[in-house]
Amino acid sequence: MDQDAAEIATRELPAAAAATGPLVSGWETDLADALVRSGCTTFALVPDKRLDPIVARLRTRGMLIRSLAQEEECVAYAAGHMMAGGLTTVLMQSSGLGNALNAIASLVLPYGLGMPIVISMRGTIGERNPAQVPMGRATVPILTALGIQAFTARDPAQVETIASGIVAMAQAGVTSAMLLDQELAGPARRESGR
Amino acid sequence: MNILEATRAVLDQRPDALFVAALGTATSALRTASNDGPHLYFGGAMGSAAPAALGVAERVAPRLVIAFVGDGELLMGARTLWSIAGVRPDNLLVVVMADGRYSMTGGQRIEAPPVFAEPAAAIPGLDGIRVSSPGALARAVDELPRPGVIEAVLDERVVPPASPFVDPYRVRSAFEAEVARTRLDATRP
Repeated sequence: MDQDAAEIATRELPAAAAATGPLVSGWETDLADALVRSGCTTFALVPDKRLDPIVARLRTRGMLIRSLAQEEECVAYAAGHMMAGGLTTVLMQSSGLGNALNAIASLVLPYGLGMPIVISMRGTIGERNPAQVPMGRATVPILTALGIQAFTARDPAQVETIASGIVAMAQAGVTSAMLLDQELAGPARRESGR
Repeated sequence: MNILEATRAVLDQRPDALFVAALGTATSALRTASNDGPHLYFGGAMGSAAPAALGVAERVAPRLVIAFVGDGELLMGARTLWSIAGVRPDNLLVVVMADGRYSMTGGQRIEAPPVFAEPAAAIPGLDGIRVSSPGALARAVDELPRPGVIEAVLDERVVPPASPFVDPYRVRSAFEAEVARTRLDATRP
């Protein structure tokens, strides 16, 4: 972690400085804090209701958040940022993984970038929207086909370890993904999503 | 104006900038014009050069970042114009090499050749201009408010001799060293 990252990792803005988004104190906070503590300072994402609490926490920690138009664009932005010396995490919903594949396969992997990717899962157990199911079912096989390890968090107790783990791998030059299982959100929140 | 003349005009005008070149002819032209300089050349990921340049620009500000993209490339990732406008980096220019064709894949015509100058200028937070000569292009690099899109109209086809196929590790290594040199310069009294 460089000096800037170390300084930012300990920073917490007053609540009033936070942008919009639900503030929570559960696993989403643990996840955001683990990413920050591990050295990530920049985050690129396409808005997703399930990711909102994580993003809200990142904002309170003073992180640079870039909400872009599409997942492929997020990956490309992060790749450029990283080749200029940054450590950037991409967050997306599983439905967006298909959009991101060209940039992952033709930019991130051949250029040897270690990019942490956080994927909010849809289309798994309990999914009520059939349109989400094929991509949810294919997410792990697609990542595996690209040689990207995926680590699924099903329990809040796993979140911190996996989040810090994918950043550690990124710092070693290895791209990996953290999957946020629908069970993690709990039955009451399973139906929500973008 | 051909793509090599356009690329050289920009390089000569701002040799201090960091350059990002999209896959294909833009990469061939920049490799040729800069004698394989330490720039970020894309070997694939069509449509991703402009957002990557945005990421670079945010990280290296205030150093100027210039992206070279074809019109087919930017058509595939035109959404990024709005993202650039949202972020508003005042150190980013996108130069569109506009010939109405997919040059890299055999020169096929783009069905509806896109124009970028006017749409870019219409987006709040972004500016745009169309130029058709190396001199006008060089002036636009200095004078167009940033972030901005310069549409360089190409009316002569040439095939730059350098290969568009790059070694990603060599590209990344050289580019990162160039970025690091910027940071070292910034810390010198």
